[in-house]
Amino acid sequence: MKLAEILSASRVVAGVTVTSKKRALEEMSKLLAKGAGTVTDAEIFTSLTSREKLGSTGLGHGVAIPHGRMSGVENSIGALIRLKHPVDYDAHDGQTVDLLFGLVVPQQATETHLKHLAAIAELFSDEAFCKQARAAADDAALYALVTSRS
Amino acid sequence: MDTINALILAIGFLGALGIVATIVAPRLGVPILFVFLVVGMLAGEDGPGGIHFSNFWFANFAGSMALAVILFDGGLKTDSGDFRIGLKPAGLLATVGVLLTAGVVALVAHWLLPLSWMEAFLLGAVVSSTDAAAVFGTLHSQRVGLNHRLRSVLEIESGANDPMAVLLTIGLVEALSAEGGMSASHALMFFVVQLGGGALIGWGGGRLLSWTLGRLRLPDPLYPLLAFFGALLIFGLAASVEASGFLATYLAGITLARQRPPAMRDVLRFHDGIAWMAQVGLFLILGLLATPHELPALLWPALGVGAALIFLARPLAVALCLWPLRFPWREQAFIAWVGLRGGVPIVLATYPLLAELPAARVIFDVAFFLVLMSLLLQGSTVAWAARQLNLLMPQVRTRVHRAEFDLPGQSGWEILSYRVAKGSQPVGRTVKQLGLPDASRVVCVIRDGRLLPYAQWGRLNAGDRISLLARPEELPALDALFERAKSADLKLRDAYLGLFHLSPEAGTAEVLQAYGAQPPAGVEQETLKQTLRRLLPQPVEGDRVRLAGVELTVRRLEEGRIAEVGLRLPKAEPEEH
Repeated sequence: MKLAEILSASRVVAGVTVTSKKRALEEMSKLLAKGAGTVTDAEIFTSLTSREKLGSTGLGHGVAIPHGRMSGVENSIGALIRLKHPVDYDAHDGQTVDLLFGLVVPQQATETHLKHLAAIAELFSDEAFCKQARAAADDAALYALVTSRS
Repeated sequence: MDTINALILAIGFLGALGIVATIVAPRLGVPILFVFLVVGMLAGEDGPGGIHFSNFWFANFAGSMALAVILFDGGLKTDSGDFRIGLKPAGLLATVGVLLTAGVVALVAHWLLPLSWMEAFLLGAVVSSTDAAAVFGTLHSQRVGLNHRLRSVLEIESGANDPMAVLLTIGLVEALSAEGGMSASHALMFFVVQLGGGALIGWGGGRLLSWTLGRLRLPDPLYPLLAFFGALLIFGLAASVEASGFLATYLAGITLARQRPPAMRDVLRFHDGIAWMAQVGLFLILGLLATPHELPALLWPALGVGAALIFLARPLAVALCLWPLRFPWREQAFIAWVGLRGGVPIVLATYPLLAELPAARVIFDVAFFLVLMSLLLQGSTVAWAARQLNLLMPQVRTRVHRAEFDLPGQSGWEILSYRVAKGSQPVGRTVKQLGLPDASRVVCVIRDGRLLPYAQWGRLNAGDRISLLARPEELPALDALFERAKSADLKLRDAYLGLFHLSPEAGTAEVLQAYGAQPPAGVEQETLKQTLRRLLPQPVEGDRVRLAGVELTVRRLEEGRIAEVGLRLPKAEPEEH
């Protein structure tokens, strides 16, 4: 699976400033809504936060993968945010989070959902990749980095 | 004088050679104990060493003492957590399992070898005890581990089935050498006194030993020695009243460990070394004792009996003991395969020799062959079997620097020192922010080689050393706080335990629906914790459950309760670059 298939340059943003996990998820919802047709950012936000209630999607070492399933979404949509200042994300390792990869998938996509998540997690568990992502100069550079690696 | 010097030289040479050989053994994939056995055999009458040693009385004496020490050490290392998980399955394996194993082996041995039914059953009893040391040795050298349930079952079984095998062997030897055999009531009495007496003396002796260790004022090095001789005393006392000395010593070790007298850590460390020495000595002597040139004559029948033991008796015994306990089948298969035979069967095989039973020689040679076969075949495939069954738990190599001190006059407290590693959680936090149960228990902070006054502690830097007063049960939490694990290890751990962390209080149905899975009937009102508890009667870290296509794991336990649940993802498909 290629992450480029679910990502677009307009949904990769480096240097967002937020003050909390909630605000970070709001920003993420807005970004994801850009590719979600008729689905609103508020609906996406509800989906993401209800998933967070089951357990933080923070993977540790500053990375989180908020995700949810939505009816009304045609294809899987991804978005990437790099925060200017890391926020507390209730991650199990206690570390703050500054890299967020959001994912929404269609209601019926069960197997694909898990496979997408596995591919994203695989990429972000690579320490060298995270270092490069944190050092990327701007939105375009970050997008280029992610699409070149997957 | 010359013979004495030559003897000391030989002991030193063989011991040192054997220990150096342990470095080579893991690379060859054979158990370390096998190396000692081979070194002994090479030194013996059929090898270049040419030492003639056939003193079965001495081998029996040294073997019994070594076994007592090994069992005492095994008891000392068994903690209450191991018991909670492993006692029932291991207890069944050590009693019913031993009888079943001995029985099945006897059936085949009677058919293949010139042995009467009674003698064949004696052979079965001799080879019925297992050895877990070889299993863990192999896994440890490859930096992989097993889950807590497997560890405790294998360990407790290996300790508890030794007294049982000894008992059966001695009972059968007595019955075979007694005129007209042994009456049923006599046999029953024998078992009751051996087991009951052994248990009583072991428990009482362990408590008394613990009390003495706590009361006497002795120079530090003498505490472990007192424990050591106390263990031998308990063994001797039990044996002198016809009770099982092995059971008594094992239980004394367990009792002592639960009582935790003040000098416990020194006692443990000392016995760790002594048990090693006992293992080395035992296998060297047993190797010396062997007469490999006699083996070819028995090769085919011995192979048959060995195959029956490994492929028939053990799997059958394991299945019958563990199936009723709803033991996971993968773990059953693993336990069935790693029923390794160690030194105990060879020691036990000297009993019939001492009693000068007519079949003694055949029993000894076959037992010796079976141990070799088991060490080679099963011992070298432990890690392979665990991998095939998907039971290898990746171990996270933490860089914890821990120095331990005893606190005079107190038991259960330790002073620990950690080095604050770069990139670990405590960096940049104040002592109060560490989340310790009681921040005043930090004894000192050392920065740049200087002991800082309290007012200058401030935020912790990488490279600081911090010492704190703690109870042993707080160790895992503290280790986790100061750990700085290699990211490669963490990756493997996440792959095994699940990448995403779920709250144990989350609703099971909601979790399944979040991933598009249809919740099965019965989980509607349950939390993850409740569902897992229902499906796993005795959960251990690393347990997995597949629910409607979603794989959940027990990530972390806290005092037996599920504290973290993991969600495993399917393996990412290979990507094209």
